[in-house]
Amino acid sequence: MSLAVLDRPAAPVPARTHRLTDPATWQATLRGPLPCTVVFAATAAVLAAGWVPVVDRLLTGAGVAVAVATSATAWAVRRSRASLRSLAVPAAHLVAVALLYAGTASATMLFLLLGPLLVLSSHPTRAGVPIAAGGTAVVLLVPELMGTAFAAAHPPAGALLLGPLAVAVGSLAVHEDKRRVIAQAGDIARLQREQSALLEQVRSRADELDTASRILAARAQTMTSVIDAVTQQSIIGTDRDGTIRVWNPGAERMLGLLRPDVVRKRSILEFHEPDELAAAAESIGSTTPLEALVHAARVEGSDVRDWTYVAADGSHRTVSVAITPRSDDRGVHAGWNFVGTDMTETRATQRMKDQFVSLISHELRTPLSSILGYLELVMDDEESPLTEEQRQYLSTVERNAQRLLRLVGDLLFTAQVESGRFTLQPADVDLAGVVRAAEETARVAAANAGVEIVVDVPADGLVVSGDAVRLGQACDNLVSNAVKFTPGGGQVRLSLQRSWQTADGEVVAEQRPGAVPVALLSVADTGMGIPAGEQGQLFTRFFRSSTAQRNAVPGVGLGLTITKAITTAHGGSLDLVSAEGQGTTFTMALPLGPAA
Amino acid sequence: MDSALHATDPSPGRSRVLVADDEDDIRDLVCVAVRKAGCDVVRSVNDGAEALVAARTDLPDLAVLDVSMPGATGLEICTALREDPVTTGIRILLLSAGASPDEVARGLSAGADAYLAKPFTVAGLVSQVRALTVGVPA
Repeated sequence: MSLAVLDRPAAPVPARTHRLTDPATWQATLRGPLPCTVVFAATAAVLAAGWVPVVDRLLTGAGVAVAVATSATAWAVRRSRASLRSLAVPAAHLVAVALLYAGTASATMLFLLLGPLLVLSSHPTRAGVPIAAGGTAVVLLVPELMGTAFAAAHPPAGALLLGPLAVAVGSLAVHEDKRRVIAQAGDIARLQREQSALLEQVRSRADELDTASRILAARAQTMTSVIDAVTQQSIIGTDRDGTIRVWNPGAERMLGLLRPDVVRKRSILEFHEPDELAAAAESIGSTTPLEALVHAARVEGSDVRDWTYVAADGSHRTVSVAITPRSDDRGVHAGWNFVGTDMTETRATQRMKDQFVSLISHELRTPLSSILGYLELVMDDEESPLTEEQRQYLSTVERNAQRLLRLVGDLLFTAQVESGRFTLQPADVDLAGVVRAAEETARVAAANAGVEIVVDVPADGLVVSGDAVRLGQACDNLVSNAVKFTPGGGQVRLSLQRSWQTADGEVVAEQRPGAVPVALLSVADTGMGIPAGEQGQLFTRFFRSSTAQRNAVPGVGLGLTITKAITTAHGGSLDLVSAEGQGTTFTMALPLGPAA
Repeated sequence: MDSALHATDPSPGRSRVLVADDEDDIRDLVCVAVRKAGCDVVRSVNDGAEALVAARTDLPDLAVLDVSMPGATGLEICTALREDPVTTGIRILLLSAGASPDEVARGLSAGADAYLAKPFTVAGLVSQVRALTVGVPA
């Protein structure tokens, strides 16, 4: 989508019109001193040439002198106030005309009236009108004043009256016309200004729209290019009814249909395995398959789970689909987004890995079963008892076979945790019993290493809900670790107590708001400790601390990973405090029931 | 394979036990444990299908079955024996390397009387066999 870009007109260029072609300049020139000066100069030339006879030299000379003086004055004051100048100068010119008329007694001179009268009538105010009429009257009265010299040229009495009257009316008409024209010109100019202002507004609005549409187009382009760049994940957007509106290259690749064949033509439901949808619909009691698909996303705001997509060629893909609701620009729910990652190979690999681990652990357990079973037969044979030396050797064999067996078990368990197939068999478990059992298990090894184990558990026990076997395994791991990492003469202290834990994991001795009751099991040793920099990696599979390696403490680095997984599965937390060379304390906090 | 370790002539008054495991060494070990428990091994086989036939023909008091065997799994044999009124009275002890709780549950729901995870101790197996053959009419 793109708005047509409006053509921007060129910016207005300042008028550079030539003086002579500019009407304003012409008007100013015509109203200025030039026309009168030219006319009077021509009159003087005509008189000098003798084409018009001079009757009275004195009056004629005075007329020419007044005309010259007036014109000169007009030139001198042409930059001063127009209103005064354009009244005084033509009035003086009228006087000059009167004198020239008197001096020549020729009606030709009456033509000279035309210039001043026009100037007066075009004066901005009506003051020019009476001056023009009065001046005309004076000029026409000259023959009467001069008497016999004008005998032939005496105008009739009517002309004396009608002349000024006609001039007055004409001047008034010209004046009003001019005013009207000026007013109209003003209106036109104002309208032009308004029009250009409007035009400017339109242009600037068009510019804003243009910019906005460019930004929107750029954003849309960015989004489209990002979505199009995703070729390994399917991004599918639908309407509320499931009709597909967005279909990216990842979806094309995964499901084998091109965008034009899908968008607005197909529903998301056509790409889902129908039986799976039906089962999902049944499990939530939904009426429509689409609701089964989006139900969790509608309730939770988003949902990620595996679904089976059916590609165009009928093949099934296991896809981890993240479903989110989509809103339009007004925030109204408009449909759904489905972002899918093809997990078909990953899930197959996971299954193969699980099968492999199961197979290996079975294959390892079977010979170990034989070894341990026959060892038992030999060692417990009452008919032919072993020598002490033989018994000692076979005990070593048995101990190592047991160690191998534990390792196999740990590997299998770790694989189960990793694949999420690790389940608990919850029951009421007395942790005090678990701790005592762990002490018993470690007793021989501790005695051999010269390590003292101190047990401090509540006499009446402390019961949590959990898997007794797994909790025993976790506790065994912690105790056997503590014994392994404590040099001779050291001490391992096992303590169990009731405590409280706040929401951010802090363990507090007193009950306080927001804190939940926990069973706190701690295993403290006086061993070699764990360097601060390595404590974060401690629960990583196969991680072995530098102190463990330096001191050649046996192990593969699975015990704490398993202990942590068991603790987490019980909703508990496992933390440690350690100082290198001073010892380590592991603390396992397991939730107790409310008001325990 | 030392036949002396396997099926012996049943002595009167002693419980008769069928042993099935595809691992020869383990099967021998089981036979030893059965005798230690004071029972007779009526037959020992290394195949699930054979085990089912033997159970139907010999009608032992107890069948000690490995879960994963060729021919038929211990669970399948279990189900088959329980469905047949003739064999439904045979006590069944399952042995398996898979010791996860849901495997135990599956074994018991298939009709087994007891379930023992490998590796088992001989002493443990002996006491299980004894427990399962107590009260069996001679």
